[in-house]
Amino acid sequence: MKKETIIAVFFGLLFGGVVAVFISLKSRDIELAKNKVIAPPEEKVLSANLTGTEMQPLVLTEPSNDAIFEKNTIRFKGTAAKDSLIIIQSPIKDLVVKNTQEKFDFEFPLALGENSIKIVVYPKEKQFRPQEKFIKVYFIDSEL
Amino acid sequence: MKKIFLFIYFIICLFGYFAVNAIAQTPSIDATSSPTIAVDKDIQQLKDKIANKVSEIRKQNNRAISGFVTNVDGNTMKLSTDGEVNQVKFDDSLTKVFKVLGTTKKEIKKEDISKNDYAIASGVVSDNIITANVVLIDENFVVDSGKITEINKESYNIKVLTTDKSTYSLDIETTTKQYMVNIKTLLLETIGFSKLKEGDTVHFVVKKTGLEKDNNYSATKILIVPQEYFIK
Repeated sequence: MKKETIIAVFFGLLFGGVVAVFISLKSRDIELAKNKVIAPPEEKVLSANLTGTEMQPLVLTEPSNDAIFEKNTIRFKGTAAKDSLIIIQSPIKDLVVKNTQEKFDFEFPLALGENSIKIVVYPKEKQFRPQEKFIKVYFIDSEL
Repeated sequence: MKKIFLFIYFIICLFGYFAVNAIAQTPSIDATSSPTIAVDKDIQQLKDKIANKVSEIRKQNNRAISGFVTNVDGNTMKLSTDGEVNQVKFDDSLTKVFKVLGTTKKEIKKEDISKNDYAIASGVVSDNIITANVVLIDENFVVDSGKITEINKESYNIKVLTTDKSTYSLDIETTTKQYMVNIKTLLLETIGFSKLKEGDTVHFVVKKTGLEKDNNYSATKILIVPQEYFIK
């Protein structure tokens, strides 16, 4: 085999490898853009050392389930994992907050009558499952 | 003459005695009236305490229940929610019935309550029967969250799998409020149906009439947490 042929084959393989790596990386981005379900990057899963790690559970001290209020605002008080994302949703309000400290205290409006409210905490460590609580509280106007 | 003077002296002394007695009695009247005021105050305080205690006990025993009306019969009504049936008693002199209209309310008669209405009753519970102070006729909302598993772009429908493994089929209407969390600012942005992606987390609110089939609901509101938030 001629020297030129060997060089051509070598560069051909090299170029092919570069193109393959490029396509592989690009297809991953395209896949993400196309909105397919993608698992968390493997390196992140491996890098997270969760051995012995305990997550702060979601504790809701206020309000209690089935509570009756005479005012149209209440306060959500409790504790959740630091830096987690807290979403509180009701038919009249969506509250999205990053929990910068473990303790939280949010004001939340109530509609007249029954209020079904769901609280979900998404931990910063994505490997942990979200924590959820569902409560029903009632706003019964004192004038009624 | 001397006897007359003695007699007059005796009369004066007698008047004097009565006068002193009368003056001496005046403060004694004051002395007895001030304890009366004190007793009145005590009684008032006691009354207030009893009223507060009664109010506290009423509040403690005050409960609210809700459910779909299954039966209205004279002065009683049955509410059903998740298979549990509660009985509500109307008190003609006490119970008020309202219909909730968004942020306002309108007083209605108990005769206006019909089967399959969603009612909220508040009052004192005794022997598993709630004597209602207030009954509100409202709409029933379901609030839940899960992952989008399927998107039908032709019928504008999404399938959502919740954490308790329930599958909801949600119709996204033109009236459905659609929001997405901006993963950098965490502010809510209004979006369209085309922004929904399989694998996204969705928090949703739907109206429940009790007549739905196959867990299919018309969505009132959806809030998307994009999957990029979880892989960033």
